[in-house]
Amino acid sequence: MPPVIDNNKCIQCGTCGEVCAEDVYFGSEEGKLPVVTYPEFCFHCNCCVEECPVDAITLRIPLPEMLLYKREEESV
Amino acid sequence: MGKQQIETIESDVLCVGGGIAGLMAAISARDAGATVVIAEKGNALYSGRGRAGNDHFWCYIPEVHGSDMESFLKECLKGPKLRIMQAGTSMKVLRTFLENSFEVVKLWDSWGIPMKHDGIWEFSGHSFPGDIFTHLKYKGHAQKRVLTNKALEKGARIVNRVMIFDLLRDESGVCGALGVDTRQDRMFVFKAKSVIVGTGVVERLYPSPVPGWMASTPGCLSLTGDGRAMAYRAGADIVGPESPKRHMGPRYFGRFGQATWVGVLRDPHGKPIGPYVTKPDRRYGDMTMEARSTILEDYLKSGRGPVYMDCRGISEEDYAYMMEAFVHEGLTAMINYLKEEKVDLRKHPVEFGTYHIYPEAKIWINEKAETSVKGLYAAGDESIVSIGPAATYGWIAGHSAATFARGAGVTGRIPGAYVEEKGSMIQGMLSREQGPDWKETNIALQQIMQDYVGFVRTETLMSAGLSYVRRLKEKATSSMVARNRWELTRALETLNLLDLGELVFLAARERKETRALHNRPDYPLTDPVLDGKAIFVKQVDGKPLMEWKRVE
Repeated sequence: MPPVIDNNKCIQCGTCGEVCAEDVYFGSEEGKLPVVTYPEFCFHCNCCVEECPVDAITLRIPLPEMLLYKREEESV
Repeated sequence: MGKQQIETIESDVLCVGGGIAGLMAAISARDAGATVVIAEKGNALYSGRGRAGNDHFWCYIPEVHGSDMESFLKECLKGPKLRIMQAGTSMKVLRTFLENSFEVVKLWDSWGIPMKHDGIWEFSGHSFPGDIFTHLKYKGHAQKRVLTNKALEKGARIVNRVMIFDLLRDESGVCGALGVDTRQDRMFVFKAKSVIVGTGVVERLYPSPVPGWMASTPGCLSLTGDGRAMAYRAGADIVGPESPKRHMGPRYFGRFGQATWVGVLRDPHGKPIGPYVTKPDRRYGDMTMEARSTILEDYLKSGRGPVYMDCRGISEEDYAYMMEAFVHEGLTAMINYLKEEKVDLRKHPVEFGTYHIYPEAKIWINEKAETSVKGLYAAGDESIVSIGPAATYGWIAGHSAATFARGAGVTGRIPGAYVEEKGSMIQGMLSREQGPDWKETNIALQQIMQDYVGFVRTETLMSAGLSYVRRLKEKATSSMVARNRWELTRALETLNLLDLGELVFLAARERKETRALHNRPDYPLTDPVLDGKAIFVKQVDGKPLMEWKRVE
């Protein structure tokens, strides 16, 4: 569930935890890998993704919210 | 657990919430010479409904719209969307907003929020073909950063991660507020000569379209109408809590920005569902949804769905325009998702849906942004909805609150016993070992709202529902647990929602007619006698008092 941190890229700067209005990173500390404590409370605003200085965060959109679209090539 | 540490912060003006309205209020109150503190539950750089950007700014620019502002206002309110959004806001307030909106547009532009497109004031979207244009198309992705920096530069103090959960009163009016640190074990007493609430929309009161999945919402999960609930408890008039509003957008993937899409709403056979556009046109979008927000749901219910937002046939130029606007509307998560899924909007129609109910309760304000309680001001979505009004009325509220503070003399007396009582309530939640948490309580509330004062509202349902919601509130107040500060914040939000839920019931029972989305099978007619009137609710001696008043 969103957000997903690439631990190899993360520089543990704490920016993601600072920017999140919903504080889904609650309990995370600068100097340690961030913890997504409340993933279900993420509503995918993308702030942490955009602010991460090393592009270590991606969002995984949960399946119940998957975008529903039509591909003509798939129609029967 | 011992007693919490209490810190006191004093200022002339306190802004509750660091959204668009709060930041604009802080900037203008500083300009008027007041000392200003902004208390923000998250981080002002990224909080509120304008957190990631906006692309449409309702405003009146005489050189574009002509000199007759009154007829422009009338034209704007022709569309049901603006009419519903602005229900309960006085015409005097709407006029004052329009009169001042261009000044604010120019200010924003000078501060570095690009308000022009290719050097001109470009209006597009939210408009019917062949009719007047109401919304300035702008580039707001960095608006929160620009405004936060401006507020700091002007000398406002921003206190992030503090949730204000109650206003403090003395004999004459509001004299401060109570807050909790959302991360550390401490409380705050804010002493202020005037207080501006600007806490945004009411989320989490009704269940989202995805069962059990709160995040499927276009708003922000941490916006829970705190300002409205606090203002009500402090004795202010709340107007029209029964009036529901519903948004539309990609089904289940709850997003704002419906008017940012440049496409045509089509049924499964490719037929446009509305009369306004037959091919994508960036000037208008498809106004069918604004003419009737439940049309997508109607199609599904009658077996004619699903309905797609179909951008096929869009010009390359308009496609680039739309994709750039998505960024400014704050939809970068959606853009990334489209890329990952290899969805190309030029080829793939996206299903749209009507989202859940947002109550349109507002704090009543006059043209100076004064509420009915002395020293208390309101701006933004909780008194006049959407970004242009939030910016403009924040600006006006800041000026008014600073002027009031100048004349107020000393700060009012803080009611010590009340602070103590609230402190104990918080300690109770933090120290209980067993009981429902915020989420359990919130879900219980949502199902009562949906099933007893949702899409169908009758006297029998609502009188049952009102007693259920009151019982739930009683249980929640005495038994909720919070295992940490994050849960405490959510629990305090949920208590605010319980108060607002009760107001929805009270006013919805009082409105004995069917009007717009307020559907009363026991009163199926729209009563023309009620045109131009609204229900005002305020708390007197601990009890709700309701009154029909003309909104002028």
